[in-house]
This record gives sequence, structure tokens and C-alpha cells, in this order.
Amino acid sequence: MNISLRYDQSSASLQIEGLPDTSLGQPDGVVGIVSSWKLQLMGSIDLEGKREHLEDLMANVLPYARYLMSDVSRTFGDSRSSVSISPEGSKHRLLLKSSRPDVQPLTIDIDDAELADLVRCLDDLRLDNRVKISWKTPLDQPLTRNELVHRIPFMQRIFPPLIGGASIFLVAFSALFVTSQLPTEENRIDQTPNPIELNKK
Amino acid sequence: MSEVTNKTDIENAGLDLDLADLSNRSILGRRALERLDLLFLAVESLDFNGSEAILFNCEKLGLQKFFPNRVELWKSRCHNPLRRTTRRGKLESAESDALIMLLCSMADRIYPLIHQLLSSREPEDLNFERWNLMESRLEELIRQRMNPRRGAVQRLLSPESSKLIYRDLVRSLALAAGPGGINRLRASLLDPTP
Repeated sequence: MNISLRYDQSSASLQIEGLPDTSLGQPDGVVGIVSSWKLQLMGSIDLEGKREHLEDLMANVLPYARYLMSDVSRTFGDSRSSVSISPEGSKHRLLLKSSRPDVQPLTIDIDDAELADLVRCLDDLRLDNRVKISWKTPLDQPLTRNELVHRIPFMQRIFPPLIGGASIFLVAFSALFVTSQLPTEENRIDQTPNPIELNKK
Repeated sequence: MSEVTNKTDIENAGLDLDLADLSNRSILGRRALERLDLLFLAVESLDFNGSEAILFNCEKLGLQKFFPNRVELWKSRCHNPLRRTTRRGKLESAESDALIMLLCSMADRIYPLIHQLLSSREPEDLNFERWNLMESRLEELIRQRMNPRRGAVQRLLSPESSKLIYRDLVRSLALAAGPGGINRLRASLLDPTP
């Protein structure tokens, strides 16, 4: 029996259709196999595709939102992915590539509110108890220090290594000057009185 | 067979899951505590009855163990080092998780308002008015509760930087709402200090 699930927000609506995976012993009313999905974004054409496209959408949009939460705007989705999302001014650009060779990629610009709606729809699907699919979405993790380096102003970033470098140079230079003033080994021997000569006297 | 998702069921499922593993979490740093408290202030600036709603939601989520009354909640929020009356020490990890859950449920409650503010499809004049109202209320709350001698507070109140910071706060609230918002917000608060 085909099951249809719908997740609605004010500017986005996601609908999936699927069946329980009986080979895994899933009961009726559970979706284990997605047969089709449809995403409606306000002001854009309806998007449809296979499960892989939905997974790509999830795998790129959700980490993008996670990074945005830490105030890091960067592109998600490489050339192999059917979906990519990148910052575009104050908006976010979704680039959707069709698996058909003769179809041009589709670009949709969405604002923060539409992005939040889309993220909520995808979260609803991902965390729905009636959908027993292991999505390839990365877990929400804290970012690394390198990914957050842009938060430090440039001068503040460059100042410590500059000071460090200058200190090392100064210490090395002054050490060179001090050693050149020290008496050499030969001078030291000449200046030391011979104990035998001292005894003779 | 066609079913329409019951939103509350999904959200409750997400919250139960998070309540179950409240322990074994990392402790929030100074920056995270500042941000968490600012997000609460942003909620209060959007919801005129915000402080009462926070207490109501606290009861609804069964978080009285952590915040039995408004004083305890206020004491937890006072771990923000930017406050006028700040508390020393770290916030317990379970307590900070409870605060995150409370904030996310509040973000969920005011989500329609947040959506209006962030939407570019709303009438420009109306949205301008809404932002002005929100900004003036948030500024007022910051002046009331934060230490104005701190540089970070001055940045929050300066006309050059405040608009961007307030927008970032509202966008964070939008992304913190909903079932996946708790983990997203928690992960962002656990970011290392660069």
C-alpha cells in the first residue's frame, strides 16, 4: 500500500510517497522505500525527483543551515552532487541539476524565511518516526577552529605572529652581538697565569 | 493511504529524545552563554509576553527540575558575563541543555513572527516598521540587563553593528525552531572560541 506523507510550512511543502520495506520486516504505515517526492517552494516551480536527489538536497541544505547558525556562509554541494546551495547576497542560491543531459540546471534564490521553512520540512521528514530510512545527513557537530577563523579581525589575526617573529629576530640579533664580545679560548689561556711560574716566583 | 504529519507529535518526539540524553554533554563556554542569553532576549523582544511564556513553556516541557521558578531561571541566565549582575562559574551541562530546549521551544512558538521578519515577500514598509519595533525593544532590554561598560555590550548597542547582529540573532532563532533545531543550536553553541 502506497503511503503519502506531507510536511507543510508557510512557504515550503514537501510530500513523499513510499512503501514499507517488507524485506526488513517493516509494518504497514511505515515508509522504508521512497518512490517519489515533490517539493513546492513559494514562487518557484514544483521540484520532483528520485530518492538520491532528495538525499542530496538533505545532505547539502541541512549542513548549510548548520554553518549559517555559526555565521559561516559557504557553498555546499560539489560537481557530482545534483543539488548545491551557496550564499547569494542576502539570499541563498539553490542550484538543481537534472539527471537528464538535455535539461539545463535550475537556479532558485530563496530568502532566510524560505530557507528556514525548507530546513524545517527536511527536519520533519528526517525525524519522522514513520519514515525508517537511514539518511546520509552528517550529524550536527561543532565547527573546527579553522572554520571560524574569519570571526577574528585581520589585524588581530596578524598581530601575534608579527610580534612573535619580531621578538625572535631581536633575541637572535642581540645574542649574536653578545657572543662577539666574549673573549675567545686563546685569549683566555694567555690571560690565565701559569701555576708553575707562580711557584717559582 | 494518505496521512498529514502531526507537527506536535514530531516535535515532542524530538524533545523526548533530547531529554533522555541530557547528561553527558559538553559545558558551554563564555561566548556560548552570552549568545544563549542574547537569543532569549531576542525572544522577549519579539514576544511582548515573553518572560511569562518562557515560564509556561518551562512547565510544559517538564523542566521545573532545573528551573522551578523565575528566580532560578534568571540565575541560570545570569551566567552570561555581559550581564549587570553576573554569576561566576560554569553552567551545568544538563542545565544548559534545558535552557537550549526552552529557547528552541520558544523559537517554535514565535516562528510565524520570525518568518514575517525574515521574509522578503512581506511589504517593505511594514517589515521596516516591524524591524524598528523589534530593534528598539531589544536595545531597551540590553540597556536594562547588560553592563554598558563592556565593549561587547557597546557593540550590541552601536547603530553600525547592531543591525547585523540582531538579524543574525533572528535568523538563528528561525533555524533553531522545529525538531532539528535543538541539535543545530547546541552544536553551534559548542563551537570553539577562535
